[in-house]
Amino acid sequence: MIRKNTLTALVFLVPALIVFGAFSWWPIVRGLLISFQSTNLVDPAEWVGPANFTALFTDPLLGVSIRNTLLFVGLALLIGFPAPLVLATVMATVRRAAGLYRFLVYLPVVIPPVVAILLWKWFYDPGHGLFNELFGLVGLGPFPWLDSPGSAMLSLVLQSTWAGMGGAVLIYLAAIVGIPSELYEAAQMDGASIRARIWHITLPQLRPVIGLLLLMQLITTMQVFTEPYVFTGGGPENATLTVLLLIFRYAFQDGAYGQAAALSLLLAIVLGILSAVYLRATRSWSAS
Amino acid sequence: MKHTAALLGCAVLATALAACGSPSADDGAVVIRVQGMPPATDKPGLAQFKTMVSDFERQNPGIKVQGSTTAFDPLTFSAKLAGGRAEEVIKVPLTEPQGLIARKQVQPLTGELGKWAHYKEFNPQVLQPLSDGSGQVYGVPQAPFAQGLVYNRELFTKAGLDPDKPPATWEDVRAAAKRIAEKTGKAGFVHESKSNQGGWQLTMLTYTHGGEIEKDSGGKYVAAFNAEPTKKALTLLKEMRWSDDSMGSNQLNDQNDVIKRFAAGEIGMYMGTPGTYRLAKMTYGMENTDAFGIGPLPQAGGKATLTGGDVFLVPKSVSKEKAAAAVKWLLFAYAQPAYDPAAAAERAKQLAADPESAVGVPTLPMFDAAQQAKIDEAVKPHVNVKLEHFAPWLEGTPALTLKPEPPVQAQQVYAVLDTVVQAVLTDEDADVDALLAKAETDVNAKLAAAQR
Repeated sequence: MIRKNTLTALVFLVPALIVFGAFSWWPIVRGLLISFQSTNLVDPAEWVGPANFTALFTDPLLGVSIRNTLLFVGLALLIGFPAPLVLATVMATVRRAAGLYRFLVYLPVVIPPVVAILLWKWFYDPGHGLFNELFGLVGLGPFPWLDSPGSAMLSLVLQSTWAGMGGAVLIYLAAIVGIPSELYEAAQMDGASIRARIWHITLPQLRPVIGLLLLMQLITTMQVFTEPYVFTGGGPENATLTVLLLIFRYAFQDGAYGQAAALSLLLAIVLGILSAVYLRATRSWSAS
Repeated sequence: MKHTAALLGCAVLATALAACGSPSADDGAVVIRVQGMPPATDKPGLAQFKTMVSDFERQNPGIKVQGSTTAFDPLTFSAKLAGGRAEEVIKVPLTEPQGLIARKQVQPLTGELGKWAHYKEFNPQVLQPLSDGSGQVYGVPQAPFAQGLVYNRELFTKAGLDPDKPPATWEDVRAAAKRIAEKTGKAGFVHESKSNQGGWQLTMLTYTHGGEIEKDSGGKYVAAFNAEPTKKALTLLKEMRWSDDSMGSNQLNDQNDVIKRFAAGEIGMYMGTPGTYRLAKMTYGMENTDAFGIGPLPQAGGKATLTGGDVFLVPKSVSKEKAAAAVKWLLFAYAQPAYDPAAAAERAKQLAADPESAVGVPTLPMFDAAQQAKIDEAVKPHVNVKLEHFAPWLEGTPALTLKPEPPVQAQQVYAVLDTVVQAVLTDEDADVDALLAKAETDVNAKLAAAQR
């Protein structure tokens, strides 16, 4: 009987296995192979050993792209990470029209990313963009935003924080709601200030969620692509050229598929390590 | 029941996967899928394309043509090539063929093209960008162009400039741009700077200043742009951007951004071809098309310009039989009407039936000048663009040498030069000499790797 059930289960699994195999696992294997090959995708591929990796490591843009990606990750951590936490903490105290605020915060997530970026491109216009007009009212600016190597990356981070914050805010809000109210009541009776309550109750209670979101953000921001691709094309002066954009350029501008696959492989290894940490962390946190 | 459902699922999936093959007709005809079919928004163009297909199929029984509105996109092209699904005819901008030829992703068509009676009469300048070092030809151009200076006649008038006399030198361009910016508040002149198009336009600027991007040094190509002509070109941009403030505020633009802004009346001048008229009108909805004017590319001692336009190529994955059918189609659809006045007149007449179309946008002669004159005469009654607004380009371009793109790794070189252009346009203190010296080192490393 068990064997028959297993067989039935397997038959039901077959379509999923075929789809995953054809569209996920085989491309992954193929990518691995291509990183050691030279191919034009028509003629039989040629094995070139580590040549793609050698070419990769002699490209001065590799260092630039790694530095830029780390800068994006760092700035996103600095700005994009605390922002939803702060917002959620404030929103949790709001009683009236709470639904409206949640709706407003989540709204950017619903807007298609490219549409949002094109909108922000206009906000950032160094001439008569929305931001410069607003800053102009109080006598500041005009700022070059995307047009300067110094401020371009920061501009990308601000937009992506705005666009991605909604999801994190909702997760934090749900977690905050889950904190037993007795803890706050007890603290209040002991005369704890609001700051003390946030510091000694909210944050420790949210620790597992904060940790998870932190890792998830690291993994996502390391793969940043859409923002630099649509906003700046990697400019000005390669100031927003990220690792993924470099992979894209290798493959689709230069036709250097091997080199693109090699860099993808390296990125996959780094992301794999981060994901392993993430999995371990989730397991230990859910156990605690 | 469960078994049946699961098996049914597998069967559906297997059928779907099996359907991903090459198209074939039941009656044994050769089916070719061709890019270049106008989109549904271009009604007159689409109607004409359909007529072209049925005429061709009637004249060539045994060949079926399936039009595709897909344009060449390196992303999908790679995927289609890898999957053996690339169309039999692809339409690519003239910046792409050399890269595709170097990577052996397209196939030589010289043998098939040579069977056409007038093959030898092709203007060698228009075939040159589609040929490799050994003289093999890989495609047929649609409408060959030379880069020129596109300008907004209305802004010229508003700024007190003569719209019938576009600037002939870069000094004139600088003066006109400054005036447009001052009098109208619009960007006087815009230079592209991203998606490799900054390097591409810097190549045009360098040619007009008498310079080169690459040069042959002992049998290998090396960077040639770290020299006076490119320095002068960049210094010109720097002065227009920072001393004159005549290039507008937004500096990270590619060609689409520029044409879009031009169509909206926001830009005075940019480097482009007469073909950008169609883009401005039909893609970006330029309403006041009478404002579109074009002159020859302004000069500063180089007397040269760069070629441009779209071309049709055949991917290497295509079988010999289909490639032969594809060449027949290309000659019928694009070469014949550029050679035969009667065919040209018929096409122009069909297109002109719709006022939304753009008929008579001038091109470079696909064959010799005498043949082109016959074509021009034949289509004259159907022309619906203001030819006099293209006259400065037509009159001035023949005096210029038509130069091709840099021969080795043009796109990679453009990518490096993009950063140079971006630095000059976004950093007031950019050091042109230092930027070019660094770019030279980077480009030479890329060229050396490619020629190893």
